[in-house]
Amino acid sequence: MATPMKFLIVDDFSTMRRIVRNLLKEIGHADADEAEDGAIAINKLRNGSFDFVVTDINMPNMNGFELLAAIKKDEKLKHLPVLMVTAEARKEDIVMAAQGGAAGYIVKPFTKATLEEKLANIVKKLGL
Amino acid sequence: MNRSDTDPLPSSDLFNKLGGITRQLHDALSELGYTPKLHDALNELGYAPKLQGAVEKLPDARSRLQYIARLTGEAAEKVLNLVDEAKADQLEITRQARELDDTIARVPGLSAAMPELRQMAQAITQASERNDARLTEIMLAQDFHDLTGQVVARVVQVAATIEEQLLALLLESAPAGKPGQDHVLVATSLQGPVVTPEGRTDVVTDQAQVDDLLASLGF
Repeated sequence: MATPMKFLIVDDFSTMRRIVRNLLKEIGHADADEAEDGAIAINKLRNGSFDFVVTDINMPNMNGFELLAAIKKDEKLKHLPVLMVTAEARKEDIVMAAQGGAAGYIVKPFTKATLEEKLANIVKKLGL
Repeated sequence: MNRSDTDPLPSSDLFNKLGGITRQLHDALSELGYTPKLHDALNELGYAPKLQGAVEKLPDARSRLQYIARLTGEAAEKVLNLVDEAKADQLEITRQARELDDTIARVPGLSAAMPELRQMAQAITQASERNDARLTEIMLAQDFHDLTGQVVARVVQVAATIEEQLLALLLESAPAGKPGQDHVLVATSLQGPVVTPEGRTDVVTDQAQVDDLLASLGF
C-alpha cells in the first residue's frame, strides 16, 4: 500500500474527478479534494496543504498549463508534483507539459494500472 | 457562351453560393440548438427573410447540446453510484469468504474430511475479487462523459468559427460593398480528444507513446 498523501484533483468534469478520486482511494490515497478548474485549484493550493496535484488540461478560466505555470512560479507550491491527466494527445502538448515542470503525463482514456504506475514512478523519483 | 468548370465563378455567383453555404450552416447549427449571433446580419443582407420564424421556434441556444451533456452526465453519475454500492457489497463478500476459509481451516479434521468447503470459500473470494476488478473497469468507462463532451464542444466551436468567417467573407464580398467584419476568430490551441489519429504524426495514440516521448526528453 502506498504512503498516504493528500491529493488535489482538478478537472471540469465531475464524472472524471469522481473516477480519479475513487481510483486514488483504491490505490491507497483516500485523502483528496477537488477543484473544477485551475483558478479554483490554485486558490485551494495556496490556502490548504497538499502533497500532489492531478490535473486535466482543457478547462475553463485557467487551464492545466496555466495552473502548472502558476504552481511552479509560487515559492510555496513549486515543489508539488503535478500529474497531467488529459485527452490532449498532441506531442507538442506533452513536450510543453514536460518543459513546464509536470511530473507525469497520462492520456485519457487510461487504466487504473497506468495511474498506479505513474504515481509510483513519481513518488520514487521524488522520494516522497 | 458556356462556362467551363475551370473558369472562375462570376463574383455574383460566388456571393450567392457563399450565401447559400452560410445559410445551410446557420440552419444546421440552429438545429443543434446553437443560435448564432449572425442572424441579424444575414437579415441585413437580405438572406434570411424566412430564418426569423425558424430561429424563433428553436429552443434556447445550446439547450439541445446541454440536454445531451446533462443526460450523459446523469447516466454516468448513476452508474458511478451503483458501482460504489456494488463495490461495498463485493468487499464484504470477499471479507466473509476469507473469514469462512479461515474458520474451516481452524476446525480440526474438517479440511481433510471435506476439502471442498475450503475450495468453495476460496473460489468465492477469487470470483469476488474478479468482480471488483470488473467494477473498476465499469467505473473507468464512465470517462466517456468527459471525452464525448469535449468532442461535442469542439465541433460546435469549429462550426461556429466557420460560420462567422463565412459571414465575414460574405460581408467583404457583398456586391453592395458592405464593410466586412475583418476579425478572424482565434481557434483555441487545445484540441481535446483525437477522434481520428490515423495518418497523423503530431499526436500520440496510447500511453506507451507518451512514455516514449517523455523518455526521449529525459523524463
